[in-house]
Amino acid sequence: MREPPYPTEVKPYGRALVDLARRRDEVLCVSGDLTRQCEVDLFQAEIPERFIHAGMAEANMMSMAGALARCGHIPFVHTFGVFATRRPFDQIANAIAYPGLPVRIIGFMPGVSTPGGPSHQATDDVALMRALPGMTVVDVADAVEVRQVAEAVIDVPGPVYVRLKRGEIPVIFDEGHVLRLGQAEVLVPGDDVALFASGMMLAAALAAARALVDHAVSVSVINVPTIKPLDTATVRDAAAGARVAVTAENHTIIGGLGSAVAETIAEAGLGRPLRRVGLRDTFAEGSLTAPYLFDKYGLSTRTLIETIWSVLGRPGPAPDAPAAPAETGEYSPV
Amino acid sequence: MSATVHVSAPGTHWTVPDPRELALRIRLRAVRMVAPQGFGYLGQALSSAEQVAAVFAAARPGVDRLVCSPGHYVIGPFAAAAELGLLDDEAVTGYGQNGSPVEAIGTERSPVMDYTCGSLGQGLSAALGFALSDRLRGSDARIFTMVSDGELEEGQVWEAALFAAHHRLGRLVVLLDANNSQVDGPVDSITTLEPIAAKWSAFGWHAQDLDGHDMDALSSALAAASADTGRPSVLVCRTSTVHGLDCLPPDADGHFIKLPPELATAAEKELTGKLEALRA
Repeated sequence: MREPPYPTEVKPYGRALVDLARRRDEVLCVSGDLTRQCEVDLFQAEIPERFIHAGMAEANMMSMAGALARCGHIPFVHTFGVFATRRPFDQIANAIAYPGLPVRIIGFMPGVSTPGGPSHQATDDVALMRALPGMTVVDVADAVEVRQVAEAVIDVPGPVYVRLKRGEIPVIFDEGHVLRLGQAEVLVPGDDVALFASGMMLAAALAAARALVDHAVSVSVINVPTIKPLDTATVRDAAAGARVAVTAENHTIIGGLGSAVAETIAEAGLGRPLRRVGLRDTFAEGSLTAPYLFDKYGLSTRTLIETIWSVLGRPGPAPDAPAAPAETGEYSPV
Repeated sequence: MSATVHVSAPGTHWTVPDPRELALRIRLRAVRMVAPQGFGYLGQALSSAEQVAAVFAAARPGVDRLVCSPGHYVIGPFAAAAELGLLDDEAVTGYGQNGSPVEAIGTERSPVMDYTCGSLGQGLSAALGFALSDRLRGSDARIFTMVSDGELEEGQVWEAALFAAHHRLGRLVVLLDANNSQVDGPVDSITTLEPIAAKWSAFGWHAQDLDGHDMDALSSALAAASADTGRPSVLVCRTSTVHGLDCLPPDADGHFIKLPPELATAAEKELTGKLEALRA
C-alpha cells in the first residue's frame, strides 16, 4: 500500500472497459447522456458499433438493458449513481433484478463527491440497490481496484451495481493488488477498533488509523469493496478481534455498509459497540466544493478519529486529524 | 429581504418597465454570478434571458406562479430577482458558494421560484399539481413553467403533457427552451425531438414555435397563450446558449461555460456597453 498523498489517475474504468470489450464480444456500452463524465467516451470512440446512446431517459434505458441481457449481451449501463438508482428503480426491479439478468449498472459520482446538491448526490444508492434480491453491490475508489472492476463483475450470474468516483481517482494500492469480488480485506491489523470502510472513505480510514497509532489506539482497517453479498466471515472475525466496530461510508448510514456490518455483528451475537460514520439521516446540499461537504457532513478523518475516541471512552479531546496537503494531481483524504 | 420569497407569495411586488432591458441585465448579472467561480451555468441564462424577462413582465406579482423545471436554469430567475429587488445583493453574491442557500442547481431551499428541481423532467408535473390546486380553490393564477428541450427525453414530461391536456389545465403556460443543448452535445445528435410543436399540438396543447430571443414575438406569444384558457399552452422558444454575448468562443460548452477572469472582464464590458446603448 502507498502512503498519502496519493497520486491520481484519470479514466481507469473507461480504459479497462474498452480492453475488456475487445476480449468479450458480449459487452455493450449503454450511456445516459453523461458519456464523458462516465469515462465511456473512450468506448464510444473506439468501439462505436457496440455503444448505445440512450439519451436522458433512464427508465427506458434500464428496461432496454434488461432485454439486451435476455438476448445474451452483457450491457454495462452508465450514468450518475443518483439517476441510475432512484429514477428507474421500478424498471431495475422488474426488468433486471427479478429475472436475475446480467446487467452491470455503473453509477458515477457517489455520495457528496459532487457539490451539485441533493438532486445530484447519490446518498442512498447503495441502500436501494442492496434491497433488490440478487443484486451485487460494489463500491471501489482506488484506481488499482477500479481498473479491475469491470473484469471482476462481468461473469456474475445476476445484476451488479458498481459505484465509481468521477474524475481523479487516487492510487492507494500497489500495482500487484488484486480486487477479489465478494471479499473484504484486512489492510491494517489492530485490536482496539475494527474500522470498516468502503469506496471513497478508505483513504480517510487509513489516515485515521495512522493518526491514532501515536495515541496508543490500535485500529484495524478493513476494506469492504463488495457490500453485497457481504464477506460476513471476515467482518465477523475482524469485529470479534476488536473491542468496538466503526463503519465509514460516503452514503447515508441507513441501509448501506454500516447497516450490513451491524446486521452481521448482531446475528453473530458478538455484542460489540458499533458506530456508523456517514450521512446521518439527512440530505446534503449544493456547494462550491466537495471537500466542504465531506467536512460539514462528518465524512472526514477528523470525524473518524473523534468517533473512535468517543466510543473507546478515552478521556479528553480527541487528537487532531493530520493535515493532508495535496499538490495538483495528488489526492488526499478529507 | 428574505431569501425565501417566492414570486407568488402575497405581498410580493416588482415592475418591469422594459423587458428588453431586463433581459440584458439578466445576462450581465449572470456573468457576475458565475465570474467568481470561473465556470457555471451561464449558457442557461443566455438562452433563457428573454423568456425569464417576459415572464417577469407578464406575471402578476404575488399571484402567478413560476416553476423552473431544469434546476440548472435557476441562475436566470435569480438574476432577474436580483435586478428587480426581490433578492438582495448579499444573497445573490452567495450563488454557488459553500454554505449558501442560493445554490447553483435548484433545491428545496431555492428562493424566487415556486418550485424547482435538479433532477430533470419533473417540474411540469409539479406545475400540474399547482394548477389542480388553483382550480380546486377557485384561483385564476397562471403557472409559468420553464422546461428545457433536453428534458423532453424523459418520459415523465409526456405523462404530464397528456394529463394537462386531458384536464384542460388552461392556466398553464410552458416556456420550452429549445436551445438544442445537453451534456453530451446537441440534443438532435442524441434524440430526434422534432417536430416539437406538432407533438404538443397532437397532445392537445396550444403550441407556438418562435424565436426565443425576439422579445416582441415572445411577449405577444405569451399574451396569446394566457388568453387561451381552454387548454394548456407551450411556447417552443428557439434559442442559443451563447446568444447575446459575442465575446464567448464559438466552441463554448453551452451546458457549463468556462469564464476565466479575462473573459469575464470582456463580458462585463460588452454587456455594460449594450446596456448603456439601450438606455441612451
